[in-house]
Amino acid sequence: MKLFVSGRSAWVSIAITLAGALLFALLPAFLSPYGVRVGQLFVLAAGLAVAWTVLGGFSGYWSFGNAAFVGTGAFVAALIELALPGWSPAGAFTVALLAAMLLNGLLALVIAWPILRLRGIYFAIAMLGVSQVCYELVSNIDALRGALGVNLLDIVPKDVRPERFYYWALLLAATAIILIAICVRHSKLGYGLLAIREDEDTARMLGVPTAPYKISAFVISAMLTAMMGVIYAHNLGYITANSVFRNEFNLNVIVYSLLGGMGTIIGPIVGAGVMTYVTQVLLGDLLDIHMFITGLLLAILVLAAPNGLYGIYDAYRLRLKRQKREAGR
Amino acid sequence: MKLDRRTVLKSMGAAVALPAIGRGAQAQATETIVIGGSVPLSGRAAETGLNVNNGYLAAQKFFNEQLNGVEIDGKRYKIDVRLFDDASDPARASTLIQRHLDDGVQFFLGSFGSNIVLPTAAIVERAGKPMMQTGGASDQIYTQGYKNIFCMFPRASRQLYNTIEYFKVLQPAPKSIMFAMANDAFSKTLAEGAIAFGKEKGLPINDIVTLPENITDASSLVNQIRSKKPDVLLATTHDQNSLLIARQLISSNVDVPLLYLSLGPQLKSFRDALGGYSEGLYFQQFWDERSPYKDAFFGSAQKFADYYRQHFKRDIAYHTASGAACIVAYVHAMKAANSLDPAKVRDKLATLDVESLYGRIKFTPEGDGDPVHLGSTVGQVLKGTAEVVFPEASRTAAPVFPAPKWAEKRRG
Amino acid sequence: MTMQTLVDGLVLGGLFSLSAVGFSLLFGVLGVVNLSHGAFVLIGGYAAYTLHEKLGLDPLLALPVIMLGMFCLGYAFQRSVIQWATKRASLLASMLLTYGFALMIRNALVLIYSPDFKSVTPAYAFDSLSFGEVTVGLTRVAALLVSIVLLAALAATLRYSNIGRTIRATAQQEQAAALCGVNIRHVFALTSGLSAAFAGAAGVAIGLVMPFSPPDETLWTVNAFVVVTLGGIGSPAGALVGGLILGVVNTMTAQLIGAAFPNAMMFLLLVLMLVVRPAGLLGNSFKGSR
Repeated sequence: MKLFVSGRSAWVSIAITLAGALLFALLPAFLSPYGVRVGQLFVLAAGLAVAWTVLGGFSGYWSFGNAAFVGTGAFVAALIELALPGWSPAGAFTVALLAAMLLNGLLALVIAWPILRLRGIYFAIAMLGVSQVCYELVSNIDALRGALGVNLLDIVPKDVRPERFYYWALLLAATAIILIAICVRHSKLGYGLLAIREDEDTARMLGVPTAPYKISAFVISAMLTAMMGVIYAHNLGYITANSVFRNEFNLNVIVYSLLGGMGTIIGPIVGAGVMTYVTQVLLGDLLDIHMFITGLLLAILVLAAPNGLYGIYDAYRLRLKRQKREAGR
Repeated sequence: MKLDRRTVLKSMGAAVALPAIGRGAQAQATETIVIGGSVPLSGRAAETGLNVNNGYLAAQKFFNEQLNGVEIDGKRYKIDVRLFDDASDPARASTLIQRHLDDGVQFFLGSFGSNIVLPTAAIVERAGKPMMQTGGASDQIYTQGYKNIFCMFPRASRQLYNTIEYFKVLQPAPKSIMFAMANDAFSKTLAEGAIAFGKEKGLPINDIVTLPENITDASSLVNQIRSKKPDVLLATTHDQNSLLIARQLISSNVDVPLLYLSLGPQLKSFRDALGGYSEGLYFQQFWDERSPYKDAFFGSAQKFADYYRQHFKRDIAYHTASGAACIVAYVHAMKAANSLDPAKVRDKLATLDVESLYGRIKFTPEGDGDPVHLGSTVGQVLKGTAEVVFPEASRTAAPVFPAPKWAEKRRG
Repeated sequence: MTMQTLVDGLVLGGLFSLSAVGFSLLFGVLGVVNLSHGAFVLIGGYAAYTLHEKLGLDPLLALPVIMLGMFCLGYAFQRSVIQWATKRASLLASMLLTYGFALMIRNALVLIYSPDFKSVTPAYAFDSLSFGEVTVGLTRVAALLVSIVLLAALAATLRYSNIGRTIRATAQQEQAAALCGVNIRHVFALTSGLSAAFAGAAGVAIGLVMPFSPPDETLWTVNAFVVVTLGGIGSPAGALVGGLILGVVNTMTAQLIGAAFPNAMMFLLLVLMLVVRPAGLLGNSFKGSR
């Protein structure tokens, strides 16, 4: 079992998270607007990946359809804002955000019971199906405006630069997600989820209430993902179904976790950082082969470091320990 | 789309050297005018993206090599078009547009697809820089109150006015018209605008079918046509779907006297794929190289087409011409302003009224193309060539209606 | 009219079946979910296009050549890359690996063939067959026939031939098969080769019927998912049943509910099926479904 910071308590993790968030909050002062926008992408990716980890990383139930919650969240928020004309932007946004999270939690609750009975690859496929159904319904039912697209409220205060505002908003949300993930990880629920990951049948036999645990994690993961989706959509300002139900949202969260370290919290954050930097900054200039290189990197990643960067670090630490032990003898 | 080891290495090298993520964007070189922007070169929109891309590049090449740059306020400048692939991802496009802004780029070119153009337009608008684009025609872009965003096309809902006028003068008058629209923002607004205008004009629009954005099978549409027998089918679909619809109509032997596919038959590859069956197909035509347009730089529409063919392998399309016209519009505005101040150039763009290779460039107060001067004409495939058949002022050939039946083409 | 819709659905379903059977086989025997399956399908389509354009070879005649070429590709893919990944990482991680390959193939296709749509149109592409009220395009009938013949051949091979028996045995009990002297690696690679060959064949059939472009790879991967989940994993019969049902559901939904809704219905069906009977209609206890 891997812990966030091995051997230390949850409080240390929380403190580190808060300190890190504070540090990141100061970054815009030193970055160009472009740097801030890259920061947005990173924070978004990290938030989404950690939200995915609450179910996928801890319990081993890999969802291949989290775009369902990003997109549904974004469209619920957009449609609620449309239905509240005359409200102040801040008020309408708050209502829309809460409603989007609540509705996605509800959606997750409804589909959780049947879908979480599926295991492994079947759960993954079912979630892919769910995300496709949501996409198709949102784009084909005229009232949901997925095809025509919908504008979101401008919630940026007058004297704040929009890229900074959304950077902070996304950072706030991502920090909340990380803190929640830490709490989950160190609670009874978290240990239960890890037990499910290791061996679900044995866990149930030993009295772990597997079904309620999995459902709780799924609902939490969905609500947190929706929260990110709502803020992301506002940052774009205008969305069609194609802008939020993106396949990248389904798969990249898994890539981040694999790259950084599956089942940890720091892993997806590191993975998101590395991938964002590589795809947006390093490959941003390449006109026509950036997709090829991204694919190649993925392949190399899986082949060369199947346990991610955390795996490499872990192996290194073990070796150090062994050396120390041997030296002390 | 040239890709050799050197370009790859160069861009990798530049990338590894930590591109301007920190403060201190480099100063703009004095002797070039940098025009930045994005085009989708991977993903669904890549086909058009490449046409737009080539239009931009052809104009850049022409100005720099044939005219030795442009002269503004007594100084000569080269044009430097800097593009990247946004992969039709709005977040990626916004980030990279911001990079251009930070690098001090003053003028912008647009991407393709309203869900990409709108978020990037918002950033450029806020920065007070002009954006010339030829890929975002959905109405939503022009109802935001933007002052700096200009489009070579009229907004989608106004684009088919000429087509509706043409249906109005058809002899014999059509008794029933069917619309089929793909479920994306552009195709939908295009069709809905035409439907509203058509109904206003008293046309018998009886059936409206919505198709998915991408289709693998058009048999349900074919069956509806078979049972309802409309005189006119107007499908607002993208090239690949249009071809599928046409092929299934042909192989099912279902005839429509007037088959109008908004996008598709304007492409040579489309007409080649259908061979003789493409005869008589109607489409939305924005530009024809034989149009009598004079251009202050290229000379004429025809000369632009000749120049393009000399230097690019890819077939010319109207998006190529409209892309080049974006640069031409910029140069006209810069010359008129006699300055490279983006605000002054923007003001001149807003009042621009000049003939170009692409037609008379003139924008509405909201920034989209003037529906009369930059609107589409009705095109028809006649003897394998894309002709303009309506309005009469710009026609290159007389329309054929009703078009020959599939069976006749099969024999011929 | 209903008859016409039904026939249209079956014809479309034939394509779905053929495009999914390779995916199903790989999933069933190796447990590998190949996200580059759709890209393999497209490679077959582009190969048919090239042979038709450059050599004037009819796609149906090119079919065996393309299948052979794809077989080699699939064999090599398994022996070199997938095998490495499944050994070192997990099966789920191999999914990401194949996703990476899908991206690479797609990008390569764009670079080689441009992003424009391509279509293969032999002279008979515009002819049709009529049975009473029902009319179907000739190429569509050809595609359906190709898919039924190939699926039957595959089913027979798996059922009666030695290599088929070995593949099935390996799928059921890898270790036991190894103990009996089966070269597991070779069998896995053969399966992967067969899977790619059928993907290539599907590409040829698809190219004959409809225009295609590089981004379509996602579509054919996702379709394979749905077909396999409906029909059941690892068997040609399952792919056939799943594909045909999907085709009919597709055209019927378009006819009865609205032309925009087939996809929504399709995925709804997928999710429902998973909930009710995850093994699929004709599912068995092959590796992937355990």
